[in-house]
Amino acid sequence: MTVILDSNNLSKRFGSIQAVDNLSIKVEQGSIYGILGPNGSGKTTTLGMVLDVIRPTSGSFTWFGQAITRGTKQRVGALLETPNFYPYLTARKNMEIVATIKGVSNANINPVLQIVGLEERKHTTFKGFSLGMKQRLAIASALLNNPEVLVLDEPTNGLDPEGIAEIRELILSIASEGKTIILASHLLDEVEKVCTHVAVLQGGVLRAEGPVSTILSAKDQIIISAPDTARVLEVLRQLPFVEKFQPDRDLVHLSLQDNFSSADVNKAMFDAGIVLTQLTVRRKSLEAQFLEIIKKQS
Amino acid sequence: MNLLRIELHKILPYRTVWVILATFAILLTLFLYASSQVTVNGQQLGDTMYRLPAFWQRLTYIASYFNLLFSILIIVLITDEYSFRTLRQQVIDGLSRAELVMAKFYVILTLAAISTLFLLLLGLYFGLLYSTERSLSAIFGQIEALFYYFVQSVGYMTLAMLFAFLIKKSGLAIVGFIAYTIIVEPLIRFRLPEAIDKYMPMKVMGGLTPMPLQEVLDQITTPSEVLSPALATLLAVVYIALFWLFSYYVLRLRDL
Repeated sequence: MTVILDSNNLSKRFGSIQAVDNLSIKVEQGSIYGILGPNGSGKTTTLGMVLDVIRPTSGSFTWFGQAITRGTKQRVGALLETPNFYPYLTARKNMEIVATIKGVSNANINPVLQIVGLEERKHTTFKGFSLGMKQRLAIASALLNNPEVLVLDEPTNGLDPEGIAEIRELILSIASEGKTIILASHLLDEVEKVCTHVAVLQGGVLRAEGPVSTILSAKDQIIISAPDTARVLEVLRQLPFVEKFQPDRDLVHLSLQDNFSSADVNKAMFDAGIVLTQLTVRRKSLEAQFLEIIKKQS
Repeated sequence: MNLLRIELHKILPYRTVWVILATFAILLTLFLYASSQVTVNGQQLGDTMYRLPAFWQRLTYIASYFNLLFSILIIVLITDEYSFRTLRQQVIDGLSRAELVMAKFYVILTLAAISTLFLLLLGLYFGLLYSTERSLSAIFGQIEALFYYFVQSVGYMTLAMLFAFLIKKSGLAIVGFIAYTIIVEPLIRFRLPEAIDKYMPMKVMGGLTPMPLQEVLDQITTPSEVLSPALATLLAVVYIALFWLFSYYVLRLRDL
């Protein structure tokens, strides 16, 4: 797999605050890489450093295996923190400036405005746009030179639910063309729905990194109850596939090893002559998993 | 030249730019027109003062007061880019920090060229109106004053650019620029011996458009040492290069 972005012990200190602390991540080609973390966890600072606008205190990074240059920048489209445009210029004029900087033809402008649904409003000045429209214009501008990599910092910020859904679909459709996407977000379910890989940041420190399926899928919890709880506990103690269990008044919470399900528990109980009065599978919420990742290491 | 094209995209639709250019043109024209009508000892000032070729020097001296206006314009254009966060976006989109400074420097050259061209037109208009002698040598005899004015204008605006990149906020940058040029440097110069004093940046720039009646003044008071125009031009160019480099280093050392 080709590595698109490789950061090596990247650190940034603002005065007494360590915004990013020895961050080493690798983004592979074709992945949708989520950088997940609460507000102030160093997501924007990290992206700012790899986008050449924030000077790292120490550490290094490469794009496509080389130091950042105009050439590498032209292969990356990015939206950092806020949509940045000239408020007194129309959407179209703003895009012409971006086109000149990126060295692409103005003919590219209308198609990208169409993709984000702003074609009709291209003669409106930027200051007349709603926050959602500004955000979409920024995405259009990132797409302008048809880059191989798209860096999006909180792309659904300020959008209404319909806009959020549209942007997520847009991201997925762009990714399906084989492009690499780096997405910073504080929204767990956004990362879970969109991303293939995730890095969890907290206080500038990398807490976990890997495919979304391994990082963000803790085991389901099963809750059972039976008339005779003591007997249930006795059986559970002998079942090899029960990882742990925890009685809670007349209920028992338990989690199982991989590849076993609630059906196995039910069967084992029945074989032992116990009839369960309740059997519930509770998916652990993403928030709970996230807090667990953060708590485990701090 | 692409950089200038990018800047023109931003500037041409910007009303502030046109307001400041119009203010310069109208005020300068009005001033020249009004003072030409002033009568001193029964003589209209226009008849004596507006004769070419000496008029070129007087014209550039008067115009040099408007450098402040252009400097404020440059400060506004640059600090705007900080508040719109477009400096940051341009770097993300592909420009280098050197190109950011270069782009603004092109704007400075363009503005200085426009104002110099405007002075040429004004000089020819008022000059030909009042000059009795109209040979080519009389008309263009001291035209190099326009060149000195151009260098001075670029110098002022480049210093303004440095203040803007350094301070980032328009109000503070304007105050800082005015404070330095009008108060701080003269105070420093006051403490310095003549020999060093004449090399200070504002003194060098000011020397490019000397006061027309300086010779008369010098006969009354002790003449203050000034540099020859050629040396002053050379030094001004050195200062311009330094202001440019400092601006670049400010951007290099800072987060955008």
